[in-house]
Amino acid sequence: MNEEIVISLKGVKKTFRDFWLRPTVNAVDGLDLTVRRGEVFGLLGPNGSGKSTTIKMILGLLDPTAGEVLMFGKAPRSLAARARLGYLPELSYLHPFLTARETLMYYAGLCGLSRSEGAKRTDELLAMVKLEDVANRAVGGFSKGMARRVALASALVGRPELLVLDEPTSGLDPVSTKEVKMLVKALAANGMTILMTSHLLADAEDVCDRVMILNHGKQVAEGKVAELGESLEDFFLAKVGSADEFVLADFLS
Amino acid sequence: MNSFWRIFSLEFTAAVRSRTLLLLLVASLAWMLAAPFVFVGDGTAEGARALVVHYSLGGVAALLAVALLASATGSIASEREARRLQLTLVRPVRYSVVALAKMAALVSLGALVLAVATAIEACRTDLARPCRHVLSPVMPTPREEALAMYDAFMKDPNTPVAAKRAKKSVVLRLLAQRALDRYDTIAGGSVVRWNFKTGGSALPDDGLSVRLRFTNAYDVRQDVRGVLFLRSGDSVWSGSVSNITQAVVEIPLKRERVGAATSELAELTFRNDGNSALMLRPRRDVNMLSPADGFGWNLLRAYVELVAMLSILVSFGVFLGAGLGRPVALFTAIVALIVSEMSPSVIEQYPDELETDKIDSIGLYITRAAAEATHPVSSLVPLEKLSEDACIERREVVRTAVANMVFAPLILALLAALVIPRKVEA
Repeated sequence: MNEEIVISLKGVKKTFRDFWLRPTVNAVDGLDLTVRRGEVFGLLGPNGSGKSTTIKMILGLLDPTAGEVLMFGKAPRSLAARARLGYLPELSYLHPFLTARETLMYYAGLCGLSRSEGAKRTDELLAMVKLEDVANRAVGGFSKGMARRVALASALVGRPELLVLDEPTSGLDPVSTKEVKMLVKALAANGMTILMTSHLLADAEDVCDRVMILNHGKQVAEGKVAELGESLEDFFLAKVGSADEFVLADFLS
Repeated sequence: MNSFWRIFSLEFTAAVRSRTLLLLLVASLAWMLAAPFVFVGDGTAEGARALVVHYSLGGVAALLAVALLASATGSIASEREARRLQLTLVRPVRYSVVALAKMAALVSLGALVLAVATAIEACRTDLARPCRHVLSPVMPTPREEALAMYDAFMKDPNTPVAAKRAKKSVVLRLLAQRALDRYDTIAGGSVVRWNFKTGGSALPDDGLSVRLRFTNAYDVRQDVRGVLFLRSGDSVWSGSVSNITQAVVEIPLKRERVGAATSELAELTFRNDGNSALMLRPRRDVNMLSPADGFGWNLLRAYVELVAMLSILVSFGVFLGAGLGRPVALFTAIVALIVSEMSPSVIEQYPDELETDKIDSIGLYITRAAAEATHPVSSLVPLEKLSEDACIERREVVRTAVANMVFAPLILALLAALVIPRKVEA
């Protein structure tokens, strides 16, 4: 297996079924995707295009109906693959009764860090996301932006080689958004592979090396951002549909 | 192991910070303190004590069973519904460890509350109060006896045609039930013998007694007179009975002869010196009682057995929550708990399958299967023994603890690990 390839999807299909096992929706339909080491890869598409389903298959939270999903050349559910992964979901989903420090310590423990290593790493990350002052407050009382920063820190706690970010700037103010983008760039510069989804095309344009656009579960375009020859937004709308259609589709989904 | 302790600690912290632990402690404390005023007993101090011991700890155990079952069904299910579970599942931790750690945390919570209740019980009871080993006669199991009786029963011209046409398994079950309740008749002047397993250890000089429960065809109290002899190796004990009012008689045995040799078995003989025949069921109505350690140790063993019961309930709840939504899991768990308590009584109501119609037979079949499956919970009766000062035997505690606190959680955690990804997908 090529060590340079971090994520590999070949002919991946995902069909959701109802209680009687009748197919209800083809969320992903014959997707081929390769993410290489050190890349910042953007998965773009309107709502219902299959981005989240694709990410969940990469994370091992969903099994593909057909095709093959590999992470670091291994099945996504293997412990070895999961040990190299960090994940930031679309919403923060934190344990409300834990403090920010306890949250990071908890995930550090799950990543196999000893108590002392975990404590050291927690301090580093709390400083990085600027939450040292509220480290001992329960995250249930945090604003959406603060919770997002805790979630981002917990994604990084195990020093992952691959970071999967689902809408990383969702709920953040412009300053925090800029900080997250800078952080993503810094992490990529340090060799971390990043797979992210975003509805904010400008964010993707700023940080991604390569993007793939999905629509109705199918790949409609893939390429390096620098080689698109037009703004990502124009390119996206050309591939997915007009702005009016997109807004309407977004509203109805 | 690190992951296990982190998840364990998270679950425990959740129970503490959500005040679940506090509520359980307060409710248990209130019940333990109120119990002596609620149960007045049969008018005797002994009766009142037995009731308080039984129902104070029993009430706390019941409260914990329901509360922990509710928490257990939600421990994975509610995390999954809140989408927090996925953040654990993408970490390098085995799904079975996730389930096992949650089980362990909830069992520890129950054990802690139960420990407080047990400590209160210990404070108000004389811990040195003696308990007794209760031995039953060594006999073939009812099933073995049924197998031995089967051929003769089927050839007997008096056997009903329905029984002869019935399946062998049904007839054997019927015969086993009869063997369990079989009466021996002891005619006036005759002698009966029962053997008891002593394990080769020397029986004590003092404190030995025999408990007999006599009856007759009309269940009328009658004159019971007789002599008992117990022989173990070269040693002999004896006692006599002269009783005309009580159905259950306890006869203290006095050492007659001291011998050096010991034996695996002790032989008890009873000579009926009365005029009328006596009847008793040897499997149910004859016990040898020998001194055991004090109430304190018995209380500790009862505590371990109760924790073992909570352990299997919690493990089952966590497993259900791994595969089902929280309301469905909770409903299923509560139904299973009720079935576990009711099914033995239902089966006892219908011992003779031959007299039931087709529908009842199907119902009985299902109930038997349910009773078999829920046996580990329904068969735990440590409080009954505790309140009667009957020794809860160490080997049975070890067996229950290993089965319910080690094997059952491990198996259910492995099964939960199989269903967790399926349910996450759903």
